[in-house]
Amino acid sequence: MIRHLLRIVWNRRRANALIALELLLSFLVLAAVVTMAVYLLDNYRQPLGFVYEDVWSVRIAMNVIDAPGGGALPENAPARRAERLNTLMGLLRDMPEVVSVSPVNDAPYSQSSWESEVDVGGRRYTFSANRAGDQFAATMRLTVTRGRWFDASDDGAAWEPVVVNERLARELFGGQDPVGRTIQPDPPKDATEPAASAMRVVGVISDYRKAGEFSPQSNWLFYRTSLGPSTRVFGLPRYFVVRAKPGTQAAFEARLVERLNTSAPDMSFRARPLVLARATMLRGDLPVLAAYALVAAFLLAMVVLGLTGVLWLTVTQRTREIGLRRAKGATIRDIRHQVLGEVLVIATAAVAAGIVIVAQFPLLDVVATISTGVYAAGLVISVACIYLLSIACAWAPSRLATSLPPAEALRYE
Amino acid sequence: MLKNYLLLAWRVLLRRRFFTAISLFGISLTLVVLMVATALLDHTFAPMAPEVRQDRTLVIFNGTLVGPHSTWRDGAGFQLIDRYARNLSNVERVAMISFPEDVFSYPGGTRVQSSLRRSDAEYWRILDFEFLEGGPFADQDVRNGSRVAVINAATRDRFFGAAPAVGRWIDADGQRFRVVGVVANVSASRPVSTGDIFVPYTTAKTDAYKTRLLGGFMGILLGRSPADLPGIKAEFASRVASAPMPDKDYEHLYAPAETYFESVAADTFGQRNDDTTRAERLWIAIVGAALLFLLLPTVNLVNLNVSRIMERASEIGVRKAFGASTGTLVTQFIVENVMLTLLGGAIGFVLSAVALKAITAAELIEHARLAINGRVFLYGLGLSLVFGLLSGVYPAWRMARLNPVAALKGVGR
Repeated sequence: MIRHLLRIVWNRRRANALIALELLLSFLVLAAVVTMAVYLLDNYRQPLGFVYEDVWSVRIAMNVIDAPGGGALPENAPARRAERLNTLMGLLRDMPEVVSVSPVNDAPYSQSSWESEVDVGGRRYTFSANRAGDQFAATMRLTVTRGRWFDASDDGAAWEPVVVNERLARELFGGQDPVGRTIQPDPPKDATEPAASAMRVVGVISDYRKAGEFSPQSNWLFYRTSLGPSTRVFGLPRYFVVRAKPGTQAAFEARLVERLNTSAPDMSFRARPLVLARATMLRGDLPVLAAYALVAAFLLAMVVLGLTGVLWLTVTQRTREIGLRRAKGATIRDIRHQVLGEVLVIATAAVAAGIVIVAQFPLLDVVATISTGVYAAGLVISVACIYLLSIACAWAPSRLATSLPPAEALRYE
Repeated sequence: MLKNYLLLAWRVLLRRRFFTAISLFGISLTLVVLMVATALLDHTFAPMAPEVRQDRTLVIFNGTLVGPHSTWRDGAGFQLIDRYARNLSNVERVAMISFPEDVFSYPGGTRVQSSLRRSDAEYWRILDFEFLEGGPFADQDVRNGSRVAVINAATRDRFFGAAPAVGRWIDADGQRFRVVGVVANVSASRPVSTGDIFVPYTTAKTDAYKTRLLGGFMGILLGRSPADLPGIKAEFASRVASAPMPDKDYEHLYAPAETYFESVAADTFGQRNDDTTRAERLWIAIVGAALLFLLLPTVNLVNLNVSRIMERASEIGVRKAFGASTGTLVTQFIVENVMLTLLGGAIGFVLSAVALKAITAAELIEHARLAINGRVFLYGLGLSLVFGLLSGVYPAWRMARLNPVAALKGVGR
């Protein structure tokens, strides 16, 4: 039966190759969109790692004048700036609505990112980095799964205290308890570069998916911000995050900014609730996805109609052949199965070629953040969709093929 | 002759209405996608009020400092424009404006977000803003650092309802400005002219910006004629090339004076040099993307066309028997197909207008008023022709190669 189908398909190879090409292209379009959808849904299911409700982020622009030839003027020395920021934080903490405040280099749902890497034992670890104060875990309600968040006991430590997320902890230390372990970076290959200092893991957090629900999981490493005389310029925060009591309104935000502006008229402050920042971020992502999905849906609708038309015409042209088969005793079922079977053979050829093409992506690791599991799920769904689509297209033509009585079909012109 | 072809084509279209409808569905929606994309590109890059002198305008969007270990890319700085962009030959005017910055105001306790830009007075002479009320701020305002502002219509609505705004005060970024003019809204896709609140750059909270080679501003150069632009580019590039480095970490400064299209090309294809082929490469990429998208619709239409040829085998047989050459038949079929795609294009134009209206109404791009203008119409017409030719050539070739004897019998192969 199958060999027979293959022969029939092969005999009309030129027309069938075009249909196969169309199905292959549809498969590629489907695979791209479905894989993206699976990827985003998979991301969406992962825990965010923080609680964004009732939190405001305040962007601080310090407008610092550089000394001629670079560097800061004495009045703008990092320690002096740190002191001013401490004063401002105190002002915020005094507000009755405020639960806690922390300085941080990069607030959740901001557009910027800080990617870093460290070589340990000849292996390179890449991670997203951030720098935050002692109150950050409480303010953002991070889930500390092992050890602790930064606190005053980290002052004056001989090492750089860091907190990592579970993903990075697993990558660095495997199954062992990461708390108290030292990350000792390899000495730089270029001797003129300064050696990176040793880090000690004081705690592990579940996650911190700063870019929101649809962003991929990644490795995270937090350095500690402590605003004091020893603060260096890169240790200065760019944001405050402020947790307010539940139910706090926008009027609070106006008073908060007013307070900061009055105290530091030379700086600029932008406060916004993370709820709003999150909505803005989603508004940026979703229309693009919707546009892709819409275009893909339209392409597939076009393919369904087009293929139905092509198969319809093919069946019409083969009316006499079908009549002959009927005359020789083939049942209606046999004929319908033949029409469907031919289409499925063509679809299988297209899907096989498509899988070979799509498989290159995970094999060559083209998009590193997409896991093989997501690719596989996307592929399975796409294959199923293509077969469904082929059957849907062949359905009406297969009925048409058996609508004429054999005697009529035989003398059909 | 052509009239005959068209008449024949019309008859063929009417003969099998179902298949004609399937073809037209695919063609028109394909062209809708392409025309909407074209309208979006046109809206982003083509001359449009207030950027009416775009053909002789160059913009210094950003600069890149490159050193052996680090690269620093940022907006153009005050120093870059003030030191190197003034007194270029054949440049009529030089203006500078800061990159848009989100600021929040709290009129009556509610939050209003605006994008604030700080500019000089020349800005208003290079760009042709439509003033709904009042006028721009003057050179003297910029010299004195007057707290005056030009706002757009949307901002007027947010702060004052629809009431006249000139002479009233608005708070932004902790500063208070007197409104001197109200301009029409400009789409957020135009980085040079979009903005909600425009104020003199001298009102910045500190003079920090004056010390910066990079960061914060874009410079706008108005040439005397379009033909002067290459010379201006070269002269500015040579000045930038000999600029002293601000820091020993860097060895080269790249800061091209360019069009927005060239700037996007640089973002796409690498910013570290002054490669002039980038804009062409972006063009090729856009055309390539359009062709890639056309692939599936083309195969779909080719499939349908090839199937429909077989229906007309006896007609072709007769024409061949009476001496029609291959060329004649190919031409006839291509004319038929182009006519079909133009018909689909006409439907596509109507649907595109509806789609663009919907995108405008949804405010996907703030203040964008998308529409089909003359340019977009011509591109759409061109796209329809290309699509018609692409999808007509192979079926026409198949049709012309039919064996006349077999074709006369209506066998088709």
